[in-house]
Amino acid sequence: MVPAVATTLSVRAPRGLLLHLLTFAVVLTAWTLVSASDVVSPAYLAPSPLEVWDAFVRANSYHPIGGGVDRVVRGEEGYFLWEHLVVSLRRIGIGLGIAVVVGVPLGLAMGLFRSFGALLGPYVDFLRSIPPLAYIGFLVAWFGIYDTSKVWLLVLAAFPPITLATINGVRGVREDQLNAVRTLGASQRQVITHVLLPATLPDILSGLRVAVGFAWTTVVAAELVNGLPGIGGLAYLSGTQNKIALSIACILVIGFTAIALDAVLRISEKTLAPWRGKA
Amino acid sequence: MSEPHDRSVVLSGVEHRFRARDGEVHALDRIDLALEPGEFLTLAGPSGCGKTTLLRLLAGFMEPSSGEITVGGRPVRGPGPERGVVFQQPTLFPWLDVRANVALGPRLRGAGKAERAATADRYLDLVGLHDVGHLRPYELSGGMQQRAQIARVLAADPDIVLMDEPYGALDALTRERLQDELLTLWRETGKTILFITHSVEEAVFLGTRVLVMSPRPGRIVLDEPARFSSDEAQVPPEELRALPAFTETVARVRGAIQHVEPPPRRAG
Ligand SMILES: Nc1ncnc2c1ncn2[C@@H]1O[C@H](COP(=O)(O)OP(=O)(O)O)[C@@H](O)[C@H]1O
Ligand SMILES: [Mg+2]
Repeated sequence: MVPAVATTLSVRAPRGLLLHLLTFAVVLTAWTLVSASDVVSPAYLAPSPLEVWDAFVRANSYHPIGGGVDRVVRGEEGYFLWEHLVVSLRRIGIGLGIAVVVGVPLGLAMGLFRSFGALLGPYVDFLRSIPPLAYIGFLVAWFGIYDTSKVWLLVLAAFPPITLATINGVRGVREDQLNAVRTLGASQRQVITHVLLPATLPDILSGLRVAVGFAWTTVVAAELVNGLPGIGGLAYLSGTQNKIALSIACILVIGFTAIALDAVLRISEKTLAPWRGKA
Repeated sequence: MSEPHDRSVVLSGVEHRFRARDGEVHALDRIDLALEPGEFLTLAGPSGCGKTTLLRLLAGFMEPSSGEITVGGRPVRGPGPERGVVFQQPTLFPWLDVRANVALGPRLRGAGKAERAATADRYLDLVGLHDVGHLRPYELSGGMQQRAQIARVLAADPDIVLMDEPYGALDALTRERLQDELLTLWRETGKTILFITHSVEEAVFLGTRVLVMSPRPGRIVLDEPARFSSDEAQVPPEELRALPAFTETVARVRGAIQHVEPPPRRAG
């Protein structure tokens, strides 16, 4: 029995990988064929994978501006593509940081003090139900078109899921865990730091994952307005300038970054809260 | 810290009613009881009679519907470190390993690293869990979790230990070993212990006083001294359980439980 299981496992892993590679090759081939054919014209609207790769490399290096002009420029719009990405990530980082600093204590307080939670609950629910981009006009009016308004937008996008997850976590803490630590001599503050916070950590991390997904979508969209440098801004601008290959390169980078962010959070969930679902 | 002088526990006219969906549950009915310092009380009774309720009231997890509970003359207003609780379901913290769970009491009161380590060692040894100190609680079996919980409570050094069917989930061998360990510890430290059990033999073997509770609403229907655990004459446990005095007490306690089961009609 055991050897049989072992065999299927050892066969299945490479087979899974093989299937993935095969699918990927099919997708790339189909893409190449479509771009080579005349289905889409003019041709620059359907760049091949290779052209996208070239655009990606150009955007990350010093390159001649082309068109007969003898000048070398840095990346795109004065920044390398990775710098555009870093700027977007920085906006997210600051926005999420503020959202955590505000959202977690707020969620703890709302979960701990039921009447306080009941009082503020509807407002948090309301904020959560608004698509964050709806705020952008008003935030620009308040904070101008530069980074401040974008960071505020991300705070507004990210803090409701974090707060709601924290409340949920606090409400899920077993009462006897609180009782137990009190009988061990914990002060009110120690009850919070030694039990309430660690017990809520898994929920806070899930809330953070939701918030990151939200914030990423939002930042890319928010960069449509004065978003340079910024990966979303570059994706938009290059599209409007008919640099389709560059635009697609940006889109791929946005997608892969989102997947990588989520993977990092999933791993940190596993390492920071390994007991999740077990106790 | 807790004051070592007066730590007698007094319950006067304690009643408890739970508000349930379909009306009220009258769980406890006028309990008058005094726990003297150093006593080892065992409490037996049919399931659902209110034993856990009584323990939770003593622990300060809830307030009685009427009556009062005092510890050392002061009314109980909430949980306190002088009253340790071994829950029926182990409530270890999964974000700490077993060792850190055991050392939590000393850590909360600000003990130094060396003291914490020494305390953890001592109590992990006592319950035979030294090898698994680095594991998380959910990596232990139910019986091991219960032993870890007992170690954690004892390591916090409460004057009064409230234990809710702590050995119910253990195999017979571990159970007997832990019974002996608990007795040794009790003799050494002179703690007051309230030990809830559904095993009559266990109640009689461990207790200096055996209490039996009636079905709902719970009342104390038997309050019987027992001397087997305090006997200095080192009778090995196996022989002790065969003593006529032991079997007689067991019979009397069992009789009291059977007598109240099924519930008698309340007269007046
Ligand atoms: N939180 C609660 N709400 C309502 N009823 C309860 C609650 N806790 C216990 N009870 C009821 O009180 C009675 C005594 O329960 P308990 O003290 O747990 O009994 P025991 O520990 O002796 O088995 C039972 O009938 C139980 O259903
Ligand atoms: Mg019970």
